Amino acid sequence: MGVKKTVVALLGVVGLLFGTAGTALAYEPVNVVHTEQVQAGPYALTVGFSTWPVKALQSLDFTFVPDGGIADKSGTLSLARPGGRRSVEPDPLVRHPRKLDVWGLDITALPDPGEWKFTFTVDGPDGSGTGELVLPVQEQPGPPMGLSWAVSTVPLFGLVALIVIAWRRTREDTSV
Amino acid sequence: MDLTASRASVAATTRTVPRGVTAASFVLGGTVLSLTGLTWDIQWHSDVGPDTFFTLPHLLLYSGSAFSGIASLVVVLLTTAAQRAGRPVDPTVGGRAVAVFGRTFAAPVGYLISGIGAASFLIYGLWDQWWHGLYGFDAVIASPPHIGLLLSITITMVGAVMVFAVVRSRTWGAAWALISLAVLLTFSTVTAIGLSQIDVGNLNTVTIGLSFLCVLIVVMGARLLDRPGGALGVAVAVAVLQGVYWWFSPWATRVYADSTGLPLRDYVVGVPGLPALMPMCLLLVAVVIEGLLVLGRRDGRSLKVFGLVAGAIGGLLVAALAPVQNNLLYGNGFPQVSGIVGTAVAGLVFGAAGGLLGVRFGGMLRHLAPVREGR
Repeated sequence: MGVKKTVVALLGVVGLLFGTAGTALAYEPVNVVHTEQVQAGPYALTVGFSTWPVKALQSLDFTFVPDGGIADKSGTLSLARPGGRRSVEPDPLVRHPRKLDVWGLDITALPDPGEWKFTFTVDGPDGSGTGELVLPVQEQPGPPMGLSWAVSTVPLFGLVALIVIAWRRTREDTSV
Repeated sequence: MDLTASRASVAATTRTVPRGVTAASFVLGGTVLSLTGLTWDIQWHSDVGPDTFFTLPHLLLYSGSAFSGIASLVVVLLTTAAQRAGRPVDPTVGGRAVAVFGRTFAAPVGYLISGIGAASFLIYGLWDQWWHGLYGFDAVIASPPHIGLLLSITITMVGAVMVFAVVRSRTWGAAWALISLAVLLTFSTVTAIGLSQIDVGNLNTVTIGLSFLCVLIVVMGARLLDRPGGALGVAVAVAVLQGVYWWFSPWATRVYADSTGLPLRDYVVGVPGLPALMPMCLLLVAVVIEGLLVLGRRDGRSLKVFGLVAGAIGGLLVAALAPVQNNLLYGNGFPQVSGIVGTAVAGLVFGAAGGLLGVRFGGMLRHLAPVREGR
């Protein structure tokens, strides 16, 4: 193939790549398929999930919507893993980056199965209130993590093998 | 793959097959693209969020491996063609050529490694795609396929170091060898996050891993050049990368978010993710290592003693100063004293091991093509 044809083919590939990138860049909307209710003092809070049931390691969008909206309110969220290990300090409730009229967590995965505790503190015109949601998280789908890690660390073992080969074939220098 | 014997006809010649500088530039340039894509991607997830396969930071990451991989493949094919045609093959282009798949290919060892890393990246890209299909687009670094991808790029970066180690007798070769080590070190700070999966009480396994890697690579730089400036050169290049990315990562993220009409997250911390991971005490560590090297030479010490002492001090400095750096940048306070002390002691031990290995690995790089120094 001549140089001209090669250049044309390469330009075609680049064109296809960037031409289709626009479609791929259309970010998924937040689709809530299940909701739970939490009462945080005077505030009723609707917790939305983009997948249900929630499984360990499977990421999803969470939405947190107090009655009357988030405009005049602020708050914090603290996550506790199964077994009672709480996050060091509560994080502020923030707007969901793809659904800015509600609070949320985007593409977040809970790593362990079991009962997670979501503790909400909401501050607003009616004062402050705290509420808790106990969320059951099922076992992770897919292969066991040990196997996944074994597959993923093959390059590391390859690197070690390379080092061992080089080590055995080179002499060791002694003085500085 | 047969690494036992070189069947390529190797001859010292002034002619290069192919021209070494161009291919080497592509391999190193590819690794820099990968590193730039990574720092941008980390910042994107931290400050903006949404993920797809075709974000610009992802495209930089992919194209980095593509550049390095294609350049490596071209060198291997040209070397194979040269060998088959009976033309001399210059061993300063990527190192001694080794036979691959019997006698099918003659591959300069540096380009062979960088090419294997790029090919591995492709395979782990498929694994990552499958993973995201099953688990969703979780924006975590320490997922198994992400670590597989990062390790693949690391192998390409090791190949780049080997390519330049062969030409270290030339000024540009020495400078680029140190820069390629700095790129490897900077990139490895992210791979080290995978160590967070190992739970050892209140010890910070990521910091311990960083202590080991920093000392290992800086001592390698010192040993590779075997003259003053190797350790410091790596540390200065790391500092330059840290400075550039400190500005670039948030800037590129803001510009890209604006262009796609996405807002920044609420409560953006304002500290660039990857540059903040990099130890800021590395220049100090390098000065200590250079000093110890001078003392070692004066007193005729053994390389092992030098590696052990330099590594231990360097590892201790990196591990002990990490909480100080984190508190300065994020203002989160300090972890428990027992955790700080335990991590610092582990940093000293792993640093000593890193120093010993750094000396040996640097020596191994020198053996790739023993050349007359100081030209």
